[in-house]
Amino acid sequence: PPPPPAPSRPLEKPRYSQGTSSQCLDSWKEERTRSEEDNEMNLPSLAAAYTTILRSLGEDPERQGLLRTPWRAATAMQFFTKGYQETISDVLNDAIFDEDHDEMVIVKDIDMFSLCEHHLVPFVGKVHIGYLPNKQVLGLSKLARIVEIYSRRLQVQERLTKQIAVAITEALRPTGVGVVIEATHMCMVMRGVQKMNSKTVTSTMLGVFREDAKTREEFLTLIRS
Amino acid sequence: MACQAAGEEPPRPCCNGYSELPSAEVRRALAQYRPEKRSREAAAEGGELPALEDAYLSILEGLGENPARQGLRLTPRRAAKAMQFLTKGYQETIEDILNDAVFDEDHDEMVIVKDIDMFSLCEHHLVPFFGKVHIGYLPIKKVVGLSKLARIVEIFSRRLQVQERLTRQIALAITEALKPAGVAVIIEASHMCMVMRGVQKMNSRTITSTMLGVLREDPKTREEFLTLIKN
Repeated sequence: PPPPPAPSRPLEKPRYSQGTSSQCLDSWKEERTRSEEDNEMNLPSLAAAYTTILRSLGEDPERQGLLRTPWRAATAMQFFTKGYQETISDVLNDAIFDEDHDEMVIVKDIDMFSLCEHHLVPFVGKVHIGYLPNKQVLGLSKLARIVEIYSRRLQVQERLTKQIAVAITEALRPTGVGVVIEATHMCMVMRGVQKMNSKTVTSTMLGVFREDAKTREEFLTLIRS
Repeated sequence: MACQAAGEEPPRPCCNGYSELPSAEVRRALAQYRPEKRSREAAAEGGELPALEDAYLSILEGLGENPARQGLRLTPRRAAKAMQFLTKGYQETIEDILNDAVFDEDHDEMVIVKDIDMFSLCEHHLVPFFGKVHIGYLPIKKVVGLSKLARIVEIFSRRLQVQERLTRQIALAITEALKPAGVAVIIEASHMCMVMRGVQKMNSRTITSTMLGVLREDPKTREEFLTLIKN
């Protein structure tokens, strides 16, 4: 029988280059930075941090409603950042098909939930993806899975949009990719400026979507209806 | 909740058909542990910000992120301040906001303030839930400034909450401030803990209500309230 996987080492070694916010765009193939064993190992310290938070906010962590909250909140936070455990290759490897199709493929209204990396507060919205295949198409749900991998992280909406577009580009080599995200940021709605109805729209256009205005316009019209 | 220090028996409220209001002990159990006094003192000394920041820093590390990267460098402080803002209801009391906005008016028809946006934190997962609050009451000689109803919602919602308790606290606070003939509070909310994780049901909404006094006993009054908030 194959030996069990070695548990990951605790997180004391630096694994990232400091200060560059774009390093995540370069190594999309090798991105897994967390494993299930890491999750289990880190759960107690996450729960302890949440207990401290409850106490510092003036609440009583011993009352009935809050007794298990540190564990629930820690598990929830690990779920909201499960994108760190997954790589694009896991999700895509067998769902790329050769098709002689060169018209636009659009998957729109993909619900997206992410965490703002500045305030650790959710931002939620919809992702619209379109691409012009170049002899290879992708299983449609894989587009939604790419969204999941990158959105279940601490994110900035601009970076999220670009990462999705770059991942599709590198997986399929299509003629062009367009990604539009329309989201509501709780950090703007629940606190700060408190603008209830504001939405943030970001987009990334690559390849022929960027160069050809008519293609881009077709994409934008089709996602609007 | 004007004069209830822990352990003190509040004065008997004027009855008005409120026999179903729980006794003082039950009400204390219903109300959350009341850290208002301690929080105010702590906040006056600069608050618990360093402890919160350290906690958030260890959360970032525990999630496998790199807290030294540019986007995350100040996140512990921002997240700590955001969390303090989202729980600022612990530092506020009803007396502060209500004391001078109760007016004598000879009005005994229903007063409704609806579609009050509400944002709160689920106490089980520390994840937001938000929605709308609809409040109606039948005054007896005393009305309250309309924005004070929204401020009461703010005080109780900016805490770690359970939607049922939030509804009841708002209703009880209005009752004790105004002694009206009846109070109704309905909250319709979407829970991110159900939408973003767990069962992941995108479009589900949770509705809770508290009816007190004549809005509880008289079905016609209750129906008038429910109809008026519908559209």
